[in-house]
Amino acid sequence: MDFKAQTEADAVIVTLNGVLTFDDHETFRGVVTAIVDANVSTAILDLSGLTMIDSAGIGMLLLANDRATKQDKTLRLRGVTGHVAKVVELSRLEQLIPID
Amino acid sequence: MTGHSDDGARDADDGVIHAARILIVDDLDSSRLLIAQLLKSAGFHNLHFAEDGASALASLSEALPDMVVLDIVMPGMDGFEVCRRIRRDFHRDMPVLMQTGMQDADYRLHAFEAGASDIVSKPIDAGELVSRVRLHLERRRLMSNLQVYRHRMEEDLRVAQAMQHSLLMTEADVEAIVAPRRASLSTFYRASNTLGGDLWQVFPVDATRFGLFMVDLSGHGVSAAINAFRVHMLAGRMSDLGSRPDAWMRTLNLMLVDMLPVEQFATAFYGLVDIPARSLKYAAAGAPPPLHFSAEGNWTALDGSGVLLGCNARAEYPVRECPLGEGDRLFVYSDALYENFDNPDASLEADALADAVRTVLPHTGNFADNLLSRLFGAPDAPLHDDLTWMLMEVQA
Repeated sequence: MDFKAQTEADAVIVTLNGVLTFDDHETFRGVVTAIVDANVSTAILDLSGLTMIDSAGIGMLLLANDRATKQDKTLRLRGVTGHVAKVVELSRLEQLIPID
Repeated sequence: MTGHSDDGARDADDGVIHAARILIVDDLDSSRLLIAQLLKSAGFHNLHFAEDGASALASLSEALPDMVVLDIVMPGMDGFEVCRRIRRDFHRDMPVLMQTGMQDADYRLHAFEAGASDIVSKPIDAGELVSRVRLHLERRRLMSNLQVYRHRMEEDLRVAQAMQHSLLMTEADVEAIVAPRRASLSTFYRASNTLGGDLWQVFPVDATRFGLFMVDLSGHGVSAAINAFRVHMLAGRMSDLGSRPDAWMRTLNLMLVDMLPVEQFATAFYGLVDIPARSLKYAAAGAPPPLHFSAEGNWTALDGSGVLLGCNARAEYPVRECPLGEGDRLFVYSDALYENFDNPDASLEADALADAVRTVLPHTGNFADNLLSRLFGAPDAPLHDDLTWMLMEVQA
């Protein structure tokens, strides 16, 4: 997985690409830092470039959400498609993290 | 005040290193004496000597040294040959320090090709000799400490793995619960990584009903296994909720909310099997869609969706229902069966998985081997994740 973060108006948008699995713990730290450091109230994780996610990857999304919430930021997911959409649907992730 | 203990450890290490058995091989008396004197004044005191290749090998046969300091040019067998034989017949990793008077690069290359660990040049420089001997002995000691540590870890993991397997019920235990309730059940469990985070259990509910439970803790290895142990313990205390799948799952969720860190969770299935009532009532939390095969050969993918366990204390897990007739089968499994992260395109859709299961169903005797062969190419194919399944059949 690789990612790109940019700030637009009042939101930081982090775009993830590739597959998000157990091997991405290190890289994902950068995603969390980008969310935590941004001086905005909303963080958006754009998952449209993700082709696959495993349980460790879901765990990373939960972690990002937890860190954002603790700073009174709102985390939202968008661009959920394909395999990621299936996993998200099965795990009812929308009840844990808002999804656009 | 950690300095004291560090110094203490260092002193102890020095003691061990100075007691290392060092074999000095050189045909010249004066050279052997010089090397011995230099090493002695640096604290090394367990020194042994050989004056040619043959007696060096004889000495090695009697007692393996911790290190050899070896001359190259000797009458009879030269140092290259001695080194080759040490590597071939005695020890692949023992430090062998070759002393060479020739500065020629080819000569040094030969020494390394023969298996030398390092080279010191002649005439011997006291500081160089002592620091190289020390370096190799310290390195050797670190390596052997690591090996001891590794063996101990492997042993611990083996014990933990045996404990984990002993959590799973025996065939006889399962039979004793399901057979009087007019069902048969076969199960499969294999961890990808010595220890896994999957678990299945069967509970008697009353004279005619029983509960089927399967859980997959996120993550692998030790932490997932410890969580599986805890879930096993918690589930064992929930027998009074066995007839209410929604309450059962809600209770487990609440316990996991307290137990798991924010990035960990579990997926699970709990089914209440009531064969006289021809019904399966179940609750699910992100479980791969369980497959129902009717006796007539039709199949349905059940809804396994539900909020991941351990993430939200307010999550609800509604009861869902599926008819169960004579000869029907229910197949509950973990996601390792259809997800393929090495080759995402090879991941199975429910219909492909149902098709594979249905094809091997008639051969129930070899169901596991046949299904593994069909899905992964061989019964013992390596798995990227823990794999568990339960196959239940309603008896006529």
